[in-house]
Amino acid sequence: MNEAEFDQMLGKYADVIVKIGVNLRKGQRLLIRGILEDASLIRKVTESAYKAGAVFVDVLYTDERLNRIRLEYADPESLTEVPNWTLARYEEYYERMDAEIALLSTDPELMNGIAPDLLAKYRKAIAQKMEPLRKYENTTNWCVVATASPAWAKKVFPELSVKEAQEKLWEEIFSCCRINAPDPVAAWSEHTDKLKKYRDYLNTQHFSALHYRAPGTDLTIGLPEKHLWQGAQAEFKNGITGIPNLPTEEVFTTPHKDKVNGTVISTMPLNYLGALIEDFSLTFENGRAIKVTAKKGEETLRKLIGTDEDACRLGEVALVPNSSPISQRGILFYNTLFDENASCHVALGNSYRDTIIGGEDMTEEEFAACGGNKSLVHTDFMIGSSQLDIDGIKADDSRVPLMRAGEWAIVV
Amino acid sequence: MDSKKHHQELLKKYAEAVVRVGLNLRKGQRLIITNAIARGVPPAGREFVHEVTKAAYAAGAKYVEVIWGDEEMHRIRLKNAPVDSFDEYPKFHINAVMDMIKNGDALLSVYANDPDAFLGLDPDRVAALQKYHLQNNAPIGVEVSRNAINWCVVASASPAWAAKIFPDLKPQAAEEKLWQAIFETTRATLPDPIAAWGDHIKNLKKRSAYLQAKKYSALYYKGPGTDFTLGLPNGHKWISAQALAENGVVFTANMPTEETFTLPDRHRADGTVAATFPLSYGGSLIEDFSVTFENGRIIKVNAKKNEAILKQLVDTDEGSTRLGEVALVPASSPIAKRGHLFYNTLFDENASCHIAIGRAYRFTLIGGEELTDEEFIAAGGNVSLNHVDFMIGSNKMDIDGIKEDGTREPVMRSGEWAFDV
Repeated sequence: MNEAEFDQMLGKYADVIVKIGVNLRKGQRLLIRGILEDASLIRKVTESAYKAGAVFVDVLYTDERLNRIRLEYADPESLTEVPNWTLARYEEYYERMDAEIALLSTDPELMNGIAPDLLAKYRKAIAQKMEPLRKYENTTNWCVVATASPAWAKKVFPELSVKEAQEKLWEEIFSCCRINAPDPVAAWSEHTDKLKKYRDYLNTQHFSALHYRAPGTDLTIGLPEKHLWQGAQAEFKNGITGIPNLPTEEVFTTPHKDKVNGTVISTMPLNYLGALIEDFSLTFENGRAIKVTAKKGEETLRKLIGTDEDACRLGEVALVPNSSPISQRGILFYNTLFDENASCHVALGNSYRDTIIGGEDMTEEEFAACGGNKSLVHTDFMIGSSQLDIDGIKADDSRVPLMRAGEWAIVV
Repeated sequence: MDSKKHHQELLKKYAEAVVRVGLNLRKGQRLIITNAIARGVPPAGREFVHEVTKAAYAAGAKYVEVIWGDEEMHRIRLKNAPVDSFDEYPKFHINAVMDMIKNGDALLSVYANDPDAFLGLDPDRVAALQKYHLQNNAPIGVEVSRNAINWCVVASASPAWAAKIFPDLKPQAAEEKLWQAIFETTRATLPDPIAAWGDHIKNLKKRSAYLQAKKYSALYYKGPGTDFTLGLPNGHKWISAQALAENGVVFTANMPTEETFTLPDRHRADGTVAATFPLSYGGSLIEDFSVTFENGRIIKVNAKKNEAILKQLVDTDEGSTRLGEVALVPASSPIAKRGHLFYNTLFDENASCHIAIGRAYRFTLIGGEELTDEEFIAAGGNVSLNHVDFMIGSNKMDIDGIKEDGTREPVMRSGEWAFDV
């Protein structure tokens, strides 16, 4: 790709993000969040957004290097300091139901070598400060995307130079996001129709549990009676329909926080707060992770599940066929936005309100009584592979094969 | 030592001087780093900001916040946004800075701006954006002009700025040359920059003490295109380098700084003054201009380039038709000696005698911090959304001090101090 071709692709990507992802309405404001390395896409998205009728586009840049500098240089005691305005800046936008695009292009190795307890302290302080933002979940049209930032690209393609790695990662991003298609907008509409069919099928089945079997994995995930499968498109509370993740290949719901039992083995490393956790397993009993093992990063994993009372429970279960276009790339992306769409996964921590019928209007107690989980964290990890079988179990204990050898076993 | 490593070391020394002398950051203080013009530090200033952040944490900062401002985003907005949308303004940046000021924290402004950021854009749109920005930013200006907290303005080189100063050099060479200028004028190249700043501050203080003792009632300027008398109000206070903030911290508000300054009487400016440098204002360059005053008010401006922008500046509010600062800088200042324009007020104002259109700093009037706006105005102080310096000094400028009884004394001759201290 020469510079002009790249610029054109970036423009197409920006258009897809604005039109299909966030589905920006004329007269809306748009907040874009990203790291400084995201500037090229942020500027393109801004142009697209104004063309789509945005009244104002603002960007909130983070320099993630400064976060590392803080952990390296600041007095550890001061790491709990989180000024009020770090919360207020989001509230200003969310209160008005402005659209939001978040870019997730972080350096997977950003926090390499930082002591896990410092990192956990720092992260928990931020998560606690941001807790009030949970009430804005899905209030407005939002979308998460990524750019091929230099450090991330180098991590994915370590054998290439930074520049080549970025070019290669951009190609992967464009391909996963269907930007190469002759008509990306039409390609997305076809894709979301298909995902909707799986989602609707699962919602008619009313499974009471899912049973996972793979080498090292024997896990039963109970589902709340009122669970709701989501996928592809979301309808936001401001009445706009959009696609909150680009790319997206998953259908997902919430497990019952008390009804997860057995052991599951991760099939991909987990990048948590800039530290990698590799070759790990979790054993659950009545919803709680009671045992964890990891060949690398076990302490970080323990910090993760120890963040708060219910970070050791699951808040999401997602189904993705092993043949998904992202899985087919055969690349470990070290980035949840991509890796979660290559593999079946579950998430430790918070449940999305919209995965329980009526969940968005429930009190915390009502949501918990229905089986929804509440935590400061929501961290996906991958458990899919070509060796994974999943059954759906109905209330009468009858079983339906949902996935065999990592592929859908149902026809929709 | 390779040049990259050398650069890193100078950057570190510079950052330490900014934190220890400029801000004089106290242990436990929080620090917010921003830039009023681009509404955040342009990303080109990133490398320097990293070093400042490290130095701040080393000095015991409790928290360092950096607000980034992407000039390209403002350009895209100016080109594409609906014309009636420029009043859209995120409040959180302003609120953040105000919160931290109320808390007694420190404020650093880092320039890395492109002097031509808004070149070629519709001047009416640029003016509209600028107007709403000034209105929203005004509360911060008020606090800073009271020295509510320790604050400092410094610069980082950036490709666009360097290219403007050194158009004949290749981008990398231009940026290196600008860094060299910044390092030398901020004394970062000296073995002990912090000690060197101590000496420099002491010398500047002698100038301000001399002028303070004189209690001139006016200054008279004579130079090519300039014949200008500027009144000084009773209680004017000459300031140089250091100041004491209301939070109790002694700080140096500009690095570099070579000026000795006070406030003029907003009602007493008469005659014409010719600018000797182009003025970078809100992303546009105003060139070859002069301003004529009567009873303190600007009654005429003309400029060979961007006269419309200059008129918009003067039309911002009543206070923008009057002056708020008068500063004396010898024509042989280390910055002037570099022999080129910086297209940036922080540097150019330290190369030349200058005056500022708009707001007067409260701390340049004895007891000024305590006065209401009305009282401050009655005492000769000026109130405005703007505070825009422009350069009037040269080696052909003579300045007299006029005493209460009308006697005159030479203050500067041919651009140099005419008195010893």
